[in-house]
Amino acid sequence: MNELPMSHHKHNDPLPETVLRVKALESLLVEKGLVDPAALDALIDTYETKVGPRNGARVVARAWADPAYRERLLSDASAAIAELGFSGRQGEDMVVLENTPQVHNMVVCTLCSCYPWPVLGLPPVWYKSAPYRARAVAEPRAVLEEFGCSLPEDVEVRVWDSTAEVRYLVLPMRPRGTDALNQAQLAELVTRDSMIGTALPRSP
Amino acid sequence: MPVLKADNVAAVLRKGASARLADPLPARFAVGQTVHALNINPPTHTRIPRYVRGRRGVVHSDHGVFTFADAHARGETVPERLYSVRFSSEELWGPQGSPGGSVYVDLFESYLASAT
Amino acid sequence: MNGAHDLGGMHGFGAISPEPDEPVFHADWERRAFAITLAMGAYGRWNLDMSRYARERMEPAEYLRTSYYEHWIHGLQLLLIEQGLLSAAEIEARMQRIAAETDAGAES
Repeated sequence: MNELPMSHHKHNDPLPETVLRVKALESLLVEKGLVDPAALDALIDTYETKVGPRNGARVVARAWADPAYRERLLSDASAAIAELGFSGRQGEDMVVLENTPQVHNMVVCTLCSCYPWPVLGLPPVWYKSAPYRARAVAEPRAVLEEFGCSLPEDVEVRVWDSTAEVRYLVLPMRPRGTDALNQAQLAELVTRDSMIGTALPRSP
Repeated sequence: MPVLKADNVAAVLRKGASARLADPLPARFAVGQTVHALNINPPTHTRIPRYVRGRRGVVHSDHGVFTFADAHARGETVPERLYSVRFSSEELWGPQGSPGGSVYVDLFESYLASAT
Repeated sequence: MNGAHDLGGMHGFGAISPEPDEPVFHADWERRAFAITLAMGAYGRWNLDMSRYARERMEPAEYLRTSYYEHWIHGLQLLLIEQGLLSAAEIEARMQRIAAETDAGAES
């Protein structure tokens, strides 16, 4: 229980009661045979070490390097992403949004925290928190500025609110000066936030 | 369903649980059509956010047929067509909207009416 | 429902403040809350929309005061009780027992 007084993260300080409640629920569910402790460890390990934004970065890098793949990704994202072995929970029905010199896409879930888990992993705290959910749809340019993403005035900003079971992934624009890079090197430039649409990819 | 065992975790996650349904329902709205989101206030689960209720938008795409979330929250599987609807920022936020900006919202067919 | 979860367009929440090099989970209770919620989802007594509705029924002021996985735990407990898998009394009793054991451990 010593995480109680030691948890100081701004968004995450739980009520002390919450920590106790989680322990109580887990202990009762295990005791009644409703959850398998080894399955809990496997679930945690999956999202802590196996599934994360490196998956999405591979999808983006492939689309940058392979025009036929990009076409498939834009016309049937779920199938094209599954080609790379990424599918399943919270990514069953995917749509990919392509950024262009004229259009910048940005994804939010104002009602909860819908997010494409197979390609991005679990969402960061800011994505799930009130300020982003409240502001992304109403003042996206101010939000982008806070992320250090300043777009030219003539770029059209499109915000996508994931209010149903479709999950969105942004395909950012390929940075200049990357012609000589292979897919693994390109993937290194693709950040999580560039696939949510709150940032641009890194420059080489 | 049985208790989730460690051996099944990877398979269960990989399979997921798509909310898409195969029911061949006709589409009441066409891509490009102007619609308005109904002003409804169900006291139970719904996926129509308050900020689009009563606002006019344009059907951007037809996602196909999915399980209707409002009914699903009551444990019922009701097929319904789902659309991406584009709302201009100014339609949603008036003078505080950003010119040229827009918000795309996934809305079930029964949240919408024709605006013509 | 017109709950506190329906946040689009609200004012007054301040800056977004992303956390550099954010870990997937910030504390062990978050890992456990995440895993028991997914495991019980897979058990199939309720679906994702029922889970969302359970989280949305958190009292609005409390919803805004608490973090994401606290919403999850609130929703999970509500569903467990509604579905008759656990009772509120046995959850309270188990919390008291764990608290007492923890205090005893700390004093020894």
